[in-house]
Amino acid sequence: MIFQIFLIAFGLFAILKTIRQYRAKKVSLYWLLLWCLLWLSVVIVALMPQTTDVLAEYVGVEKGADLLVYVAIVILFYSIYRILIRSEKQNKELTELVRKIAKLEAKRKD
Amino acid sequence: MKIVAIIPAYNEEERVAAAIADAARFVDDVVVVDDCSKDRTGEAAFESGAYLLQHVINRGQGAALQTGTEFALEYLGADIVIHFDADGQMCGEDIEAVTEPIIKGEASVVLGSRFLGARSNMPLGRWLTLRCGLLFTAMVSGIKVTDTHNGFRALSRNAAQDIKITIDRMAHASEILDLIKAKKLVYVERPVKIRYSEETLAKGQSFFGAFIVIKDFFKAKFFDEL
Repeated sequence: MIFQIFLIAFGLFAILKTIRQYRAKKVSLYWLLLWCLLWLSVVIVALMPQTTDVLAEYVGVEKGADLLVYVAIVILFYSIYRILIRSEKQNKELTELVRKIAKLEAKRKD
Repeated sequence: MKIVAIIPAYNEEERVAAAIADAARFVDDVVVVDDCSKDRTGEAAFESGAYLLQHVINRGQGAALQTGTEFALEYLGADIVIHFDADGQMCGEDIEAVTEPIIKGEASVVLGSRFLGARSNMPLGRWLTLRCGLLFTAMVSGIKVTDTHNGFRALSRNAAQDIKITIDRMAHASEILDLIKAKKLVYVERPVKIRYSEETLAKGQSFFGAFIVIKDFFKAKFFDEL
């Protein structure tokens, strides 16, 4: 019960926070909708945990809670993959930038 | 023929001046790329009269070599680029031997080798690691050389333009071999002497370092194309 209340409170807090950031133009509408959708579903699942069982049964997983964990892990791994790719790209760009500065500021004692 | 030596240097304050002086006797210009050293490597190189290029953020030896090579090609109009070490392991006298095939038009890439002629005082552990490197390179890059991770090499202007090092860290040596094969560059090997001392051994590639090289190489080969 405590955990449910905590989840709902946190979900609402996250939604409020995102709306505030959207108003301050710190995040785009896309992110606002995405985060709201995510946290709304968290709140719904917290309120009615049995809803996930229906979905779980449909896709062939025993319990709704298990399904949530599986989905979460898949999303997490994919996010890490995306971040790694991006970091690799930024590393390359950083090298290019450092190289450009080095070439422009080359010096020699006369 | 304008010959330019590229010396990537990281924390080589004590040794870089000697390396510059050693190489300078056999080349037209020396370019030192200070890879954001924590000591006074940059000042030491500048005082020695070399061109000094400084990475404002440490990017690794491969990146430093590429920076120096681009500078030599674009700003100094180099005809031959030499990759040389800052730590005094290499001998300037060998520069003549590695540039000769390019001057004569026999090859566009000359690779230094520690195993041809066997003139070095190489420790056994290092020998074994390097032999494994050969096997690895022959399998992945399909190029047969006697020494894969020798940093001593000479590139003709065209070869230097063709070989763009994208692996910033140590695996760039494998990448260069890969590119030689891919771009169908004519290469030869020449024996060079590498001096091993306690000091340079501590800084060089350890056996475990080899795993990082392999990881970086595979990452660049397969992962970066995504």
